[in-house]
Amino acid sequence: MTLRFTFDGQEITCPDTSSLAAALTAAGHRAFRDTEQGAQRGIFCGMGVCQDCLVTVDGRPNQRACMTPARDGMTVETQTARPSLTPPAPRDLTPHRMRPTVLVIGGGAGGLSAAIAARESGAEVVLLDERKVPGGQYYKQAAQGDPLDDQQAEGRALVQAARDAGVTILPQTEVWGAFDGPEIMATAPDAVYAIAPKKLIVATGAYERPTMIPGWTLPGVMTVGAAQTLWRSYRTLPGKRVALFGNGPLVTQVALELADGGVDVALLAEAAPHPLRRPLAGADMLRRDRALAVKGLRMLARLRSHKVRPTHDALPRAIRQTDDGLEVTYTVGGQTRTVTADAVCLNYGFQPSNEVLRLLGCDMSYDAGFDHLRVTRAETCETSVPNVYAIGDCCGLGGAPAAVTEGRIAGRAATGSAPLPEDQEELARHRAFQDALWRVYSADLPLPEDAPPDTHICRCEEVTKAQLDAALADDPTDIGALKRATRVGMGRCQGRYCAPAVAGIMARRQCRPLEDLSYFAPRVPIKPVDIAAITAAEALLDPEE
Amino acid sequence: MTDLLIIGGGITGQVAALTAAEAGARVTIVDSQRNAGSHANAGSLHVQMQSRFLRLNPHLAENLESSLPLYLSAVTEWEALDARLGGVELTREGGLMLAENDAQLAFLHEKAERERRKGLDVEILNRDPLHAIAPWLSSRIVGAELCRNEGKLNPLVANRKMRATLDALGVRHVHDRITRVEDGPRPVAHGATDYRADTILIAAAWGAEALTAPLGLSLRTPPEPLHMNITEAGEYQIHHLVQHAERPITLKQFRSGQVVIGGGWDANLASDARHAPTIRKTSLLGNVALAAQIAPGIGGLRVLRTWAGYNTPVDGKATIGPAHPQNRVFLALPGDAGYTLGPVTGRTAAALAMGLEPPIDPAPYAPARWRA
Repeated sequence: MTLRFTFDGQEITCPDTSSLAAALTAAGHRAFRDTEQGAQRGIFCGMGVCQDCLVTVDGRPNQRACMTPARDGMTVETQTARPSLTPPAPRDLTPHRMRPTVLVIGGGAGGLSAAIAARESGAEVVLLDERKVPGGQYYKQAAQGDPLDDQQAEGRALVQAARDAGVTILPQTEVWGAFDGPEIMATAPDAVYAIAPKKLIVATGAYERPTMIPGWTLPGVMTVGAAQTLWRSYRTLPGKRVALFGNGPLVTQVALELADGGVDVALLAEAAPHPLRRPLAGADMLRRDRALAVKGLRMLARLRSHKVRPTHDALPRAIRQTDDGLEVTYTVGGQTRTVTADAVCLNYGFQPSNEVLRLLGCDMSYDAGFDHLRVTRAETCETSVPNVYAIGDCCGLGGAPAAVTEGRIAGRAATGSAPLPEDQEELARHRAFQDALWRVYSADLPLPEDAPPDTHICRCEEVTKAQLDAALADDPTDIGALKRATRVGMGRCQGRYCAPAVAGIMARRQCRPLEDLSYFAPRVPIKPVDIAAITAAEALLDPEE
Repeated sequence: MTDLLIIGGGITGQVAALTAAEAGARVTIVDSQRNAGSHANAGSLHVQMQSRFLRLNPHLAENLESSLPLYLSAVTEWEALDARLGGVELTREGGLMLAENDAQLAFLHEKAERERRKGLDVEILNRDPLHAIAPWLSSRIVGAELCRNEGKLNPLVANRKMRATLDALGVRHVHDRITRVEDGPRPVAHGATDYRADTILIAAAWGAEALTAPLGLSLRTPPEPLHMNITEAGEYQIHHLVQHAERPITLKQFRSGQVVIGGGWDANLASDARHAPTIRKTSLLGNVALAAQIAPGIGGLRVLRTWAGYNTPVDGKATIGPAHPQNRVFLALPGDAGYTLGPVTGRTAAALAMGLEPPIDPAPYAPARWRA
């Protein structure tokens, strides 16, 4: 089935399962909104966190195209920087108060597995997921049609298993607040929720770390995961010619998927040296999980059949828009080269989506290897806050197979069962494999302090490296002072991209170790929240509150 | 060699530093860089009596009313500062205090009469003239008190430009927490190290109580943690500083288009010195829902961020002057609405400390009332 809507008056036809972002991309549109400084922005993260793909939908401003399903008859417009203060049409939001035994936030590999395990005891289990179809970033489900491959089929089976087990799945439900209790506040298209579970399992995953270079905010420059979502979930290619830059196995996998889908892969640039230069780590990977290691080798072989070979030791330096497309200047060793493409994909690792955990006050420690925070957990995956469990990549990167196992452990623990020895052994194996994998892919990535002065450090507030340097000259004591001085981190993404960069810059300047307090103070809402949703949620306050 | 050592780097201490440095003094500001009210402030320039304060502190209403002339001088001081700093997005488009029924309007009539006697430029607007100047208001609002003296500014811009101006004047900034002040011919402030100066000025808001008690003063300065919200940017249409006659709210729009919502909803005190005060769910939901009721035009914008900051009401009246006559330790405490009153308080205190002509008569605000 197809549907029709208009974008700035032009009629667009798309499948009825499409997201607005996919439909607009398929129709050749890359720029969705204008910024305060008159620049244009489009899809960047493709998963609802960067808030750059905003459009006005039926008169309601600032709706994320990547998270909004296309509907027949919609009027979609380019988002202006400052929409008029005209009251939008009222929203009909039903307030719900829930007190399930177990609440799982996130319907990815870990969350689904935790929910299934918790249901085994007969407990009432509610699972929240932001997407219309759960599955998370690893299983990335297709909006329609048959699974593309084994990975999607496995995810579909897991979603089905959760439904069969009797898990209450609330799709398109986004968490915006976490308060002591724990109590979780969330919104859906037709409802608002205040959920006070006995046990909370946080499985919110991770988002991608970009590289900050001039031009990384241009429409058409997106994360590798965003391109993957366009293709795997919506069968939409991000462009005809695509250049991928990154570090780690996801980049190679997505290059192959896009090539299979018909994309001309203009460049696959890997920051790490060739794996043959690290034979020990490679052998270790093979020893820890032969099947996964072999899967990786097969991917490379299939890429070769598309005439794509990864370029190693390669890093992007700047991107600019030309008449012919996006021209990326990159370096390989000491050489400088250029490549031109319609879409440029970036991935330099991941940042845990740990906002809920930080809001609840869970203890964190800094992992220098992955340059992010890891939540402190017991063997049962319980955090330092009683009754709050954390699993998967939101705890610090660990990969989907580990998330599935951690989900089983946490789901059992939350309902009173001890971890199974086989789960613990399996988890140890997954972790050892991840360790070997990232030794193979270890690379010297450029530090944000070395970025050229015109590089945007904060996408949302359009704060450049030069502005940041000027404020750093005043020797701010902490990241909060730097935020107030420059507006870095004050925008819609809540500092998700700039915070890790700025925290690192500050720590290295002050010769201090990174810790939880190095990052912006956690604050509600963890994502911008509609005023109508807050008004509806007010009805959920107890009179004694 | 310090002529004036200022404890507290918020707007009060900064304007004191500016005043003294412009008069040629060598000035040092020592600040602990933790939870300064000025760093959390949302930039309202209050003049009319806030219904929040009258409701929370009815016993201090008389102090507040007697301070109204200080509020008038405070906005004049801010206008001068706006010019001195090269623009801090200050506007003087007036403030509206809204009424939803005849009883609230009657309260505003009576309040306006009291304020007029103190020299404020106030007027009661009935429904039609009100909605003509504020079309984004809900139709449930029947009238308002307009106070033309009120306005707003962008504190982030003001704080940044203030710092640059002080740097250019050679004011020294030290990061330290002062724990004790010793009076004498050459007073000493004790922190990680000792700081000696000809004169010490305490502009430490909620930190003042601990420093002044050993000097024989009985003032109490508990911080009042208050909740704030900010939305995405919209077209600049809300020109007034908006409050309500009976319900706790302030609402205004920055020139940048973002709408700031606050008005005295409570937050939680910080758990320790390294953390900031935290948010209460009840304040977030109640405050934003109330804003959407009175100004439905903001309903298309999303709430981006919330935060909490410390107000220091003291007794609702400023404390300005030497801790003791002939003493070299001075106080500069605005006593509620610290960001509005900070500049006039800081300038007056610095003028007294440096033997200059103060911009206002400081007698009503003398610290004498705190001596046992």
